Amino acid sequence: MKYIQRYLYITIWSVVFTACSYLDVVPDNVATIDYAFRTPLTAEKYLFTCYSWLPGFADPYSGNPGIGGADEIWYNAHYTYNAFLLAQGNQNIQNPFLDFWMGDRGGVPLFRGIRECNIFLENIDQVKGMSDADKARMSAEVKFLKAYYHFWLMRMYGPIPIMDTNLPISATVEEVKAVTREPTDDVVNYIVHLLDEAIAVLPEKVQFEVQELGRVTKPIAMAIKAQVLVTAASPLFNGNIDFPTYQNARGEMLFNNQFHAEKWALAAQAAKEAIETCEALGSKLYYFANSGYAISDTTKTEMSIRAAITERWNSEVIWGSTNSTAGAIQTGSYPRIFPGDADYYGGYMSVPFSMVELFYSANGVPIEEDLDWQYADRYRTRKAIAQEHLYVKENYVTAMLNFEREPRFYADLAFDGGRWYGQGVYTDVNNFYVEGRLGGAAAGHAYAYSVTGYLPKKMVNFQNAAGPKLWTVQRYPWPIMRLADLYLLYAEASNEAYGPSDEVYHYLDLIRERAGLLGVEAAWGQHSSRPTKYQTKEGLREIIHQERGIELAFEGSRFWDQRRWKTAVRTLNHAIVGWDVQQETPESYYRPKIIFQQTFGLRDYFWPIQESELIRNRGLMQSPGW
Amino acid sequence: MYKKNTLRAIFMRCLIILFIISMHLAVRAGAQQITIKRSEASLATLMKEIKKQSGYNILYDAVALSKVPKRNVIIERATIAQALDQCLAGLPFSYIIDGSSVLITQRPTPLPPVQSEWEIRGTVRDSIGPLAGVSVSIKGTKKGATTDEKGRFILLDVSPKSTLVCTMVGYHSKEILVDSPTPIDIQLTVDDTGLDEVVVVAFGTQKKEEVVGSMTTINPAELKVPSSNLTTALAGRLAGIIAYQRSGEPGQDNADFFIRGVTTFGYKKDPLILIDGVEFTSTDLARLQPDDIASFSIMKDATATALYGARGANGVILVTTKEGKEGAAKVSFRLENSISQPNRNVELADPITYMKLNNEAVRTRDALGVVPYSQSKIDHTIAGTNPYVYPATDWRKELFKDYTVNQRANLNVSGGGKVARYYFAGTFNQDNGVLKVDKQSNFNNNIKLKTYLLRSNINVNLTKTTEVGVRMYGSFDEYSGPLDGGKEMYEKVMRSNPVLFPAYYPKTEKYDYIEHILFGGTDLGTFINPYADMVKGYREYSRSLLMAQFELKQDLSFLTKGLSFRAMGNTNRASYFTVERLYKPFYYQASYYDPKTGDLDLQVLNEREGTEYLDYKEGDKVIKSVFYLESALNYATTIANKHNLSAMLVYIMRQSQDANAGDLQQSLPARNLGLSGRATYSYDNRYSAEFNFGYNGSERFYKNHRFGFFPSGGIAWQVSNEQFWEPLKPYVSMFKVRATYGLVGNDAIGEPTDRFFYLSNVNMDDPNRKATFGSDFDYTNNGVSISRYENNNITWEIAKKTNIGLEMNLFKSFDIQADFFWEYRKNILMTRAFIPAYLGLSAGVKANVGEASGRGVDLSIDYKHSFGSNFWLTGRANFTYATSAYEVYEEPEYLQEYWKYHVGYPISQTQGYIAERLFVDDEEVANSPAQNFDMPVRGGDIKYRDVNGDGQITALDQVPIGNPKTPEIVYGFGFSTGYKNLDLSCFFQGLAQESFWIDPVATAPFLNDQQLLKAYADSHWSEENSNVMALWPRLSTYEHPNNTQTSTWFMRDGTFLRLKTAELGYTFQGKGVQRIGLDRVRVYVSGVNLLTFSRFKLWDVEMAGNGLGYPIQRVYNMGVQVSF
Repeated sequence: MKYIQRYLYITIWSVVFTACSYLDVVPDNVATIDYAFRTPLTAEKYLFTCYSWLPGFADPYSGNPGIGGADEIWYNAHYTYNAFLLAQGNQNIQNPFLDFWMGDRGGVPLFRGIRECNIFLENIDQVKGMSDADKARMSAEVKFLKAYYHFWLMRMYGPIPIMDTNLPISATVEEVKAVTREPTDDVVNYIVHLLDEAIAVLPEKVQFEVQELGRVTKPIAMAIKAQVLVTAASPLFNGNIDFPTYQNARGEMLFNNQFHAEKWALAAQAAKEAIETCEALGSKLYYFANSGYAISDTTKTEMSIRAAITERWNSEVIWGSTNSTAGAIQTGSYPRIFPGDADYYGGYMSVPFSMVELFYSANGVPIEEDLDWQYADRYRTRKAIAQEHLYVKENYVTAMLNFEREPRFYADLAFDGGRWYGQGVYTDVNNFYVEGRLGGAAAGHAYAYSVTGYLPKKMVNFQNAAGPKLWTVQRYPWPIMRLADLYLLYAEASNEAYGPSDEVYHYLDLIRERAGLLGVEAAWGQHSSRPTKYQTKEGLREIIHQERGIELAFEGSRFWDQRRWKTAVRTLNHAIVGWDVQQETPESYYRPKIIFQQTFGLRDYFWPIQESELIRNRGLMQSPGW
Repeated sequence: MYKKNTLRAIFMRCLIILFIISMHLAVRAGAQQITIKRSEASLATLMKEIKKQSGYNILYDAVALSKVPKRNVIIERATIAQALDQCLAGLPFSYIIDGSSVLITQRPTPLPPVQSEWEIRGTVRDSIGPLAGVSVSIKGTKKGATTDEKGRFILLDVSPKSTLVCTMVGYHSKEILVDSPTPIDIQLTVDDTGLDEVVVVAFGTQKKEEVVGSMTTINPAELKVPSSNLTTALAGRLAGIIAYQRSGEPGQDNADFFIRGVTTFGYKKDPLILIDGVEFTSTDLARLQPDDIASFSIMKDATATALYGARGANGVILVTTKEGKEGAAKVSFRLENSISQPNRNVELADPITYMKLNNEAVRTRDALGVVPYSQSKIDHTIAGTNPYVYPATDWRKELFKDYTVNQRANLNVSGGGKVARYYFAGTFNQDNGVLKVDKQSNFNNNIKLKTYLLRSNINVNLTKTTEVGVRMYGSFDEYSGPLDGGKEMYEKVMRSNPVLFPAYYPKTEKYDYIEHILFGGTDLGTFINPYADMVKGYREYSRSLLMAQFELKQDLSFLTKGLSFRAMGNTNRASYFTVERLYKPFYYQASYYDPKTGDLDLQVLNEREGTEYLDYKEGDKVIKSVFYLESALNYATTIANKHNLSAMLVYIMRQSQDANAGDLQQSLPARNLGLSGRATYSYDNRYSAEFNFGYNGSERFYKNHRFGFFPSGGIAWQVSNEQFWEPLKPYVSMFKVRATYGLVGNDAIGEPTDRFFYLSNVNMDDPNRKATFGSDFDYTNNGVSISRYENNNITWEIAKKTNIGLEMNLFKSFDIQADFFWEYRKNILMTRAFIPAYLGLSAGVKANVGEASGRGVDLSIDYKHSFGSNFWLTGRANFTYATSAYEVYEEPEYLQEYWKYHVGYPISQTQGYIAERLFVDDEEVANSPAQNFDMPVRGGDIKYRDVNGDGQITALDQVPIGNPKTPEIVYGFGFSTGYKNLDLSCFFQGLAQESFWIDPVATAPFLNDQQLLKAYADSHWSEENSNVMALWPRLSTYEHPNNTQTSTWFMRDGTFLRLKTAELGYTFQGKGVQRIGLDRVRVYVSGVNLLTFSRFKLWDVEMAGNGLGYPIQRVYNMGVQVSF
């Protein structure tokens, strides 16, 4: 017995003893989040993590709602892109499109981005072997990103929770539910405050362009500050009386229904400061340099307009997106110009008449105001004459709508009979011309075609390789902010704050001059049926709005502009119109056809919050109208 | 430390008890002064009296003694010998005194004279082969013999008209009247309810009547189906198993099976599979040959599984393989050849209807849309103008054959001597797919799965008390098949347009110079040519599993009687790799066709991508190693004939490691550790009690929660052994009730990738979080991401299980076993539901907050009867009902939508919308609640009910619909019968209480050129025929999200009943086959899935939502089994 007893004793003790160590399989140094802040290089990785939440700016389909979510770009029924479904008025609370709150349907979960920015700011001091200057610079970049993510959310959801510090993972239900939407004024102040902190520290330029270009600098932060303040001063956020009962759980009014003119003054000041800083650092409007080919001034103007977008890091770009670069959007914008079959499927991004008719006449005034332009006859057709061959193919029959328009019309749009400069032909002779009618190279595919007959040529780099079976794209950093935008922001803010002034005309005229147009005063004074329009604040506002629509067409601005101006209920309650594109002859092709009846209601100014999120915290409240 | 002390205390107590008991045993009575004064006393009473007074243990045949008339006895102060002499005086009994025992034996009575005596020879066998060790005796005499290893016996001097009685443990005894001196062939039928039968339990065996736990044992022969997959035979054969099969593809056709349903929502829902004590996967179980199985049982309740500790919470399947028996080599060989064909193919619409309805699908959604098929194309296709220009391709015909042929062979040999015994078996199976092999293709693309199994079990008696066993097992799969797998090929056919292009173009003179096949294609967007995908290459995989096991059994009787020790070490190595070899096909389309001359010009579509030469791709490589060690100490004793006691302690260690685990944390070895124990006590074959515990550790939890203690206990009462039952015995010969209760732990919670809950999982190099900068976008850093937050509080999931069982035997023919069970699980790991997105967490926060319950019934009825010596009949019916319910489920607070709560509903309950019907027209849509599914809704789309009445159809309107996705009822019944050498058996199997959903995306016609089901062509909403109850809503060419929601519209009833197997066999035995050196030859034909009864007609209902995959097969099989 004793023997057994001893044996069992030993067994049990050995079991208990080995048990403790046998199950300790985890070695030391398993990565935890602390490891991200041990060395400068890992800290840089975490900085890049913070950057990685930036929206897909150059993705018009399912990343950036601004390009294809309104009335600038349309598609044929084959396509079911998130942005397109949004544009068709299918937004819903069940599973919203481009949901940047939850990070679904093409949206990025920006609150995750904000949390990681906070983690970075909490931990960056721990990094050993990194200079204080580097830490300060990185912190400023992350502050900027934190501000930008809040701004992006505010544009979409209006009043949003401010997540200045992270709630702990172990937070109780009560702590979690205490989070609520904050008044938009508070959100704006918070964003501007963060931006100011960043601006104070950020470098004016990156040190090594080959490695750092695209990272946030002082001009970028200043320009975005101007954008934030202009947005905050706009009618949607400044004296909006549409939602008088919209209050958060603490009973605070979420929209300030009092108009404050000084918001515009602040915006104007910020824009002016941004312009001055950018210009001091060498930013200037882009003009096409001589390419080595003998080309006309007309072609040069076209290229000045086009290449301001598509040429990498041109002198106008303030903030270019290196994480989301323009690739697919170029393919989608390129109508086949070579006959025969292609093994790529592009040319399906379609520009509706709402945009086509927005462009000025050759005189630089709206086509319906132009004294010389035959507005009533615009859907009739005529044959192009030889002198027009830099715009329209000689002897080609096309709509009057496509004649005698401003250079930006021809630079930005491709259409049946229109010239296609570039893609191997860099002179003014033997140019390509788009053939959009049935039987033409750009037509006939089952779904790779423009449903309106127009395509945004502006997006396409003229040096992309193209052939019957060939299509290679040169990507460019998507211009999130460029100088022309800043000029227009300033002109708008200044006009709203102080009324028409020479300074406003000056900045508008800088843009118009590059576009090959007369200045505002001259153009309206000589060619418009409303020659004094520019002299009043309201008239000039209209001019600035239209100038913005044209200059920044397809760049992701109009979508937000229509909302902040509160004009969307008017401009987006509209028919989407195009030509009868499945036709062969000009007579049958050039008939305007209603493709879709777009609708926009009050609730569409803001994104709905997904229902599943609301039932987790009902105090969050659904966006108004949803 | 607390736990450690408790454990020690328990152990010390056990030791003390054992010590006291053994002390009792040592007490001996020395007094021999016997005084008895009795009148009219039975001999048995007298013997008891003597035993009481003397302390001698008196052994006697109570029956024989009871036949003696009562007598008067006066004994005074006698010795034991004197007392016995006096009691037995004049009776045909004598006695032997041996130490402290007395053995009373009957003196042989002189036999009555007989006329003549015969010598009787014979063979005893069961349904499989000859039986060795059967005792054959002549009724009413003491004469008897035992069969040798070939089942033979010889009895000399048998009087005519006497009756032979054959008995063997585990078989029904059989009586045969001897009416001639010719050789007799006796067939015994298996009895798995015999009173003294021994039952396999965790880490040992128990007498059946002492078992308190709930388990089901099946005769392995019943698992024999004409298939290379054992798991397909489980459904309906074992009470307590819920099983169903969703695919018929060789290698992918494992059935899903659960013991008593599913009561957890972690990843591990299926039972623990132990083969010879070692954990294996269901694929390993699938490869097991019934011929090699010695016992197959499932453990269902807490006491039965307790010893397996953490691993047994979802039940245990326990399989032991055969071991050699003493005797000459016994060889058994089985050969089968079967024909396999899809049980039911999905019916497709004809190409013309396809084109017409595709046009309709475009126009009905978009009046301006461009129709894909011109009238002229449709007309030419009808006319059959040119099959290459106007193709109508029957892809299924191009790809699949009508049937395929499979082979299986199994050989096993067993035998041995006094010292060593062996059993080895080899198996070769070849399963083929139904894919066509085209002449012009360079390689065989058909699925060909060859499995080789080799098993060797050797037992050696090292000493009289030491036995070692060595088991080696290897299982090898060699597969070659299409690149995509059979299921994908079937699905690709469903996704291929039938009218755009032919499988390939003929090589006319013009294209004679081209070496490669001119596959059909189109430039109208992406397309699938399944024929090209099939012939463009092939995939091979090789899977192997090697097991080496060493077992030591040491009888420790020399220390204390009844003590034994056993240790087993096992290692498994599993490996798998796959390689693809393929070329990139050239696709062509017809570019010009001259209807006059018939000239056809082809145009190559992918000149750049196509290749004529083979390329290769490496696939997954899996290497796994498992080490397992178990040691057990056993003690068993019987006190005073009536008290049976046993105790056992088991210690297990297990480690498994994966060579290509994927990340650091997963690469660390997974370990389990456990100490378990069992103590049983039974009294007089009437009352039994059992206590078990498992004390287990898991490395997944933080130190404080690492170990769990899981006790369980139960009692059983063999009512029929009570005195008062005697009058009922003729009707109910056996009646037993059992009850158990206990806890079982489970550490396989959450996701398998969540290896260490107490550690955060940080990816320091996550490409999904990368950012790029630089003038040419070429400075990129990957980012940092967290996929799990650390949590020290995660701990064991605990199941509390209760079982009440009844066992009875009616009229000596019906064995009935019924078990009622309840289970309550708590600490189920769940993701917290109140965490909103604005917290910005990158991973869910989890906690042990979920609770669920399960309950149900397992019922089995067996019937066995022999009508004379030639005709026998057995029947068996099983029924399993298992349902579950959420008890605590963390979910958001719903204000009025109480139907959204999961509590009270089964775990695999689906929530979905209530589909009322199809919308009549657009106007009705406009006047109905908004259906928020991304796209405009129109007449003919599905109309859902706004349950909460808020004017919007959202997730809040989803209600529990239908039955659970896992069937709640699985049953089977069948019979076997034999007349002389002919036998026939049939088995029906069915399931009920299951709902499934037709996949509205996979079956959506025209979506990316998907095929049109004939059923949809015949019944869909159209503007001409706006049938609001049509099977398919308004057509569309894209996925219409309104019509693809989970709803009652596509919900179907999964109930079915099928003739699962039928078998007819004939056995040749006796002289005819002995002349050619054989013992027995059985030939048989059998079939699987011969008949199915179900209301669902689109495909085989058992496949449920996977209907477009590889169909479940119907099999016709021929086999021969030879033994010698």
